[in-house]
Amino acid sequence: MNTLTVGARTLELDKDGYLVDLNEWSADVANALAAAEALELTPAHWEILELLRQFYQEFQLSPATRPLIKYTALKLGADKGNSLHLNKLFNGTPAKLAAKLAGLPRPTNCL
Amino acid sequence: MSTLHVVSHSPFTDSRLDSCLRVCGSDDAILLCGDGAYGLRHPALLTKGVKVFVLAEDSLARNLPLPDWADCVDYPGFVQLSIDYDKVNTWL
Amino acid sequence: MSKSLLVISRQAPWSGPSAREALDIVLAGGAFDLPIGLLFLDDGVFQLAPHQDAKAVQQKDLGANLQALGLFGIDEVFACGHSLAARGLTHPVNAQPLNDEQISQLIDRYDQVITL
Repeated sequence: MNTLTVGARTLELDKDGYLVDLNEWSADVANALAAAEALELTPAHWEILELLRQFYQEFQLSPATRPLIKYTALKLGADKGNSLHLNKLFNGTPAKLAAKLAGLPRPTNCL
Repeated sequence: MSTLHVVSHSPFTDSRLDSCLRVCGSDDAILLCGDGAYGLRHPALLTKGVKVFVLAEDSLARNLPLPDWADCVDYPGFVQLSIDYDKVNTWL
Repeated sequence: MSKSLLVISRQAPWSGPSAREALDIVLAGGAFDLPIGLLFLDDGVFQLAPHQDAKAVQQKDLGANLQALGLFGIDEVFACGHSLAARGLTHPVNAQPLNDEQISQLIDRYDQVITL
């Protein structure tokens, strides 16, 4: 079984490295997940992670790339809601990687 | 564009055939198979005036006489129908 | 030009996988930018009823998922007016009601149809 150690806690991950329990997510968890992907989280990243958490609250699903871009443009404006900005932040796979770091399930419609 | 509607549930226990008849276009046809073949005893099919086919083995197995408003097809006939119509809508 | 696809969802939300599967097809199609439409027919219109509680039956919130259709690029969302009326449902906010004749024309307009 995949696990992630954050301080004294050991969290369960699924086979693709996604957090099994969404409620265990915290800033420390996000940092640890990012470290595992060799990524350092900046305020520009955090803004998108918060947005994804909000998306999940609202729609109960993880967005594929296109809806993620649309939603970001809607909430943060077109200068951030575009594939260039999101690809740069999340190593070219924004839907999958950002969902992972935000503690959401793997996007189901992202093949 | 014409549609071949495939219905495999009995109209006496299920709403598929009734709904299909409501939204069926004038160029469309209905193919009855499985328990859908019991549709041959469903008066609504007659009054709608839509083209009706039934899969031979299913009507034979159920001893359903073929009314003059329906046609019988075998499996190659089924395949031919699915080519003749622009699309197939299977009421799963 | 991709072929257009109409998905007809005609099962109630909580009794089996059909409603979920229909939505998954639509969302996957939307993610690939296919011209796709969704029609709620028969008991499928129960998916649109307000204030349902998916948690009470330990399921995912299909109603919340449906709100995301626009973001997935699915703008063609319809409901059968006859099915709504027969079930005492008022016109839903997120689907356009159609009469039988309009549904017939809708099916005609799409290249492919999947009914679940």
